[in-house]
Amino acid sequence: MFMNLESVQKSYQTGDVSTPVLKGVAMGLEQGEIGVILGPSGSGKSTLLNIIGGLDRADAGKVTIGGIEVTGISDAQLTEYRRDCIGFVFQFYNLIPNLTVGENVEVVSNISKSPLKIDEVLKAVGMLEKKSRFPKELSGGEQQRVSIARAVVKNPQLLLCDEPTGALDFNTSRDILKLLQQINKEYGTTILMITHNTAISAMANRIFKVRDGEIVESTVNESVMPAERIEW
Amino acid sequence: MVIHKRITRTMLDNKAQYLGSLVLILISCLLYTMFNQLSVNMDHITSSFETQYVQEDASFVTDKALTNIPELESKFGVVIDKGGVFDYAVSTDQSLRIFAENDKVNLYALIEGRALSGGDILLDPAYAKAHHIKVGDSIRVEGKDFTVSGFMSLPNYIYPLKKESDLLNDPDHFGIAVIGKDDFAAFHRGSSFYSVKVQGDPDSADSILAELKNELKSQNTVILKWINIDENPRVTAVTAKMANMNKVGAALPVTILLLTCILTGIVIWRMLKKEAVMIGTLYAQGYRMREIMNHYLRYPFVIAVIGGMIGTLLGALTLKPMLGFMVAYFNMPIDSVRFSIAHLAVSLLLPLLFLLISGTFIVRRALGHSPIELMRGGGQSRKIGFLERRLSLNKLKFSTKFKIREQLRSMPRSLFLLFGVALATMLLLLGFTMKSSMDFLLKDTYEDAYKYQYEYVFNSLQQGHPASGEPFSMSPFTETANGQKSFIVYGVRPDTKSISLADKAGSPLRFDQVIVTKPLADRLNIKQNDTIGIISKLDSGRYSIKVDRIADSYIGEYIFMPLTAFNEMLGYPQNSYLGVWSMDKLHFAEDQLLSSSSASDAKAAFASVTQPIQAMLGIISLMSFVIGLIVIYVVTSLIIEENKENISLMKVLGYKKKEVFSLILNSSTYIVILGFIIGVPLLLASMQAMFQSVADSTSFVLPVKINYAYLGLGFVIIILIYELSKAFSKKKINRISMIEALKSRAE
Ligand SMILES: Nc1ncnc2c1ncn2[C@@H]1O[C@H](COP(=O)(O)OP(=O)(O)OP(=O)(O)O)[C@@H](O)[C@H]1O
Ligand SMILES: [Mg+2]
Repeated sequence: MFMNLESVQKSYQTGDVSTPVLKGVAMGLEQGEIGVILGPSGSGKSTLLNIIGGLDRADAGKVTIGGIEVTGISDAQLTEYRRDCIGFVFQFYNLIPNLTVGENVEVVSNISKSPLKIDEVLKAVGMLEKKSRFPKELSGGEQQRVSIARAVVKNPQLLLCDEPTGALDFNTSRDILKLLQQINKEYGTTILMITHNTAISAMANRIFKVRDGEIVESTVNESVMPAERIEW
Repeated sequence: MVIHKRITRTMLDNKAQYLGSLVLILISCLLYTMFNQLSVNMDHITSSFETQYVQEDASFVTDKALTNIPELESKFGVVIDKGGVFDYAVSTDQSLRIFAENDKVNLYALIEGRALSGGDILLDPAYAKAHHIKVGDSIRVEGKDFTVSGFMSLPNYIYPLKKESDLLNDPDHFGIAVIGKDDFAAFHRGSSFYSVKVQGDPDSADSILAELKNELKSQNTVILKWINIDENPRVTAVTAKMANMNKVGAALPVTILLLTCILTGIVIWRMLKKEAVMIGTLYAQGYRMREIMNHYLRYPFVIAVIGGMIGTLLGALTLKPMLGFMVAYFNMPIDSVRFSIAHLAVSLLLPLLFLLISGTFIVRRALGHSPIELMRGGGQSRKIGFLERRLSLNKLKFSTKFKIREQLRSMPRSLFLLFGVALATMLLLLGFTMKSSMDFLLKDTYEDAYKYQYEYVFNSLQQGHPASGEPFSMSPFTETANGQKSFIVYGVRPDTKSISLADKAGSPLRFDQVIVTKPLADRLNIKQNDTIGIISKLDSGRYSIKVDRIADSYIGEYIFMPLTAFNEMLGYPQNSYLGVWSMDKLHFAEDQLLSSSSASDAKAAFASVTQPIQAMLGIISLMSFVIGLIVIYVVTSLIIEENKENISLMKVLGYKKKEVFSLILNSSTYIVILGFIIGVPLLLASMQAMFQSVADSTSFVLPVKINYAYLGLGFVIIILIYELSKAFSKKKINRISMIEALKSRAE
């Protein structure tokens, strides 16, 4: 398995009370696959994704990504891991307001070892013509495309998306999903995506249902659907 | 890295904040460079002047001419030069002190023109300038024409005071000149004095001079006057003023720099808070702590480098004109202008160091959060502070509550405003306090205490009663315990009308007792009824006197005692005296007099010299205006920036423009007023300390006085600055759109 999680546990301390958020999660994903995590609000999806991406640490258990045991490395090594292996796409885009579209992508290509060409990536997300615009001059969907370009430009082994379509309408969402699928095909990028939307799972190879910090269902989807055919 | 492209854009978007920091750095570097390079040059100029032109170690006047100079020179290892001098009255209120050229000690330094030959005269440049005399002009002295061959300075008259007890020189009414020995001799007038230079080890100078004094005494030569170089105000005025300048040069720029660090620190802190999400995102993408730090430290770096360079350059440009001004004031030749590389480096690097350190500290604290915390808004979550929770604000009006909360929530910002307003108040009132104090000093001294109009001092003891005026005697002493610095003991008539002194309570003192002035009592630590031992500077005789009262006066280190007691103590004939005080002008033969002076001279000197000081105070006040404006404006723009959403929301909710202005802009009124209130005692205390240190090197205590009118004016100016920066900010508030409130929620 390219990505493998074994009995990952995490709890948050609020005052004297310790709330378990992840209660022994186990999951796996092969290289080049798309995985989708489904679950109600507060079930621990983001926490799980953050641990996989090296933004947060598990209390117990083991996370291995592309041969690296993420749970056993130092903070500095964790930064290097994020820098070299992981791309993030966030629900609220998090673009840098006073940099242009092109520059926002360049921010990441500046620090990666073998980045893709910026123009190529922008073209792939359909934002090449708007390269010199500033984020506030873009719509939400356009901003999300830039944020995907930014995550993809470093050619990451694993692309993590936390509700990438959460703030977008139906048509725009489908365009974004199409884009992700296209990137997965073109660059062979493994993708793990969180969503509230069950319909989206049709485009994934594997589907993980989370409830109360546990994987309650893990299915392999043999008939992956192209994103443009997804309806909800 | 492309991310650094943000720097110029961010700075341009927040011009007020960054420009404010930049200008503060600029001002502090300008001041630092100006004061320190000036003092390096002045030090160099004085020391090379002293050695090159053989400055005396002491000068003295005797009752009869010394006949054995060569023997004395070889016996004590000294060089003695006999000098001649007389005061030529150019007009009733203007005199020129003419010296004969010396050839061993106190050589004249040519500042402009050519050296003396027969029929030539050299003038001090300040006098020449005041009277529009140019090189090559001809002037008349005692009916004889001289050609002004140039301008010069004498090592024992660096600061050409007419009288040693004068505070300030006055080129309009007094100047010095040098003519050739033969030309001088041809006048057949004037008095002589001796200048001694000890050769070899300067540390042994004091003991050698003491031996020389004893030798002269043993030869029955009476020393009428003796003054060591380190208590010659014509030289020490320069050293004392330079020492004070160094203090200002060190303290002022560093204080402003500190303010700048706080300002820049707050600006960066605000930026980091605002950009927490962005930092978290960068962090998540794999940016290293070092790279993020590097990015944020570029802001203070850019400000420090640009501000430092421009400020240092401007400071360097002011050096030459300032040096010209100082040299004209102190009368010394400039051989070359130097730049101290060390000070240059400090001026360029100190702001960099300060800002980078404070920047690192702040960035480190902000980056202490994890990427997830940062992306959730990091420290941006508005925590309710301890103070705010403790205060019960419920009973107050909404607008008052809002204003108080606004201040409490941003303590560093409020503290900065407080500190900035206090500093601006101090700088502003510095000028006013100085002026009040000087006015007070002038009135207290020349109108209330020393009532005589003219003072004549003879060059030998007089007998009997003067034809007119009031007789007095004087002699320099040191105290047994406190060595070194001398003071003057006056013998005065018990019923004197010339002097009027009062004790601390303000009741007048009688002169049938021993009275010590406050500056001297402070220095020697004397209390009423103490008995002190004193040593005559003239013949090293030891005496002891009991101090009856202490006079509350500001100028002069004096002891007054009845004239009969004075004569008795020193063993002088009963009716002898050395000088006359008078209300009217008297006429004595020139060769009888050691010196003559008038109170109006002194006042005129004071008036003419306060002019450049007033100009300087004007500059300081202007600077304080700029600093105050920057600080208040930056803080106001920070408040607006931080309340953008609130302002936008208020507009949406239908608040009127005026109500919004009042809520947002008036929230700092209390702090500004508090800053002023804190600034006043802080200034008075630091002035007291500064004047005290001046008092240690000169013989007067400057009273710290501030008049209520000036205090009111200062307050009005500070409020004016506040209103001005509020007016500037109104446009900013108007520009905030209502959509802002809706938009920023999405992020
Ligand atoms: N820093 C924290 N401190 C305390 N509790 C936390 C913290 N972060 C998350 N939690 C808690 O952990 C639980 C899981 O949070 P998480 O963000 O993983 O949920 P989620 O599944 O992503 O929800 P959503 O779909 O709403 O984004 C929640 O109950 C949340 O309150
Ligand atoms: Mg979530």
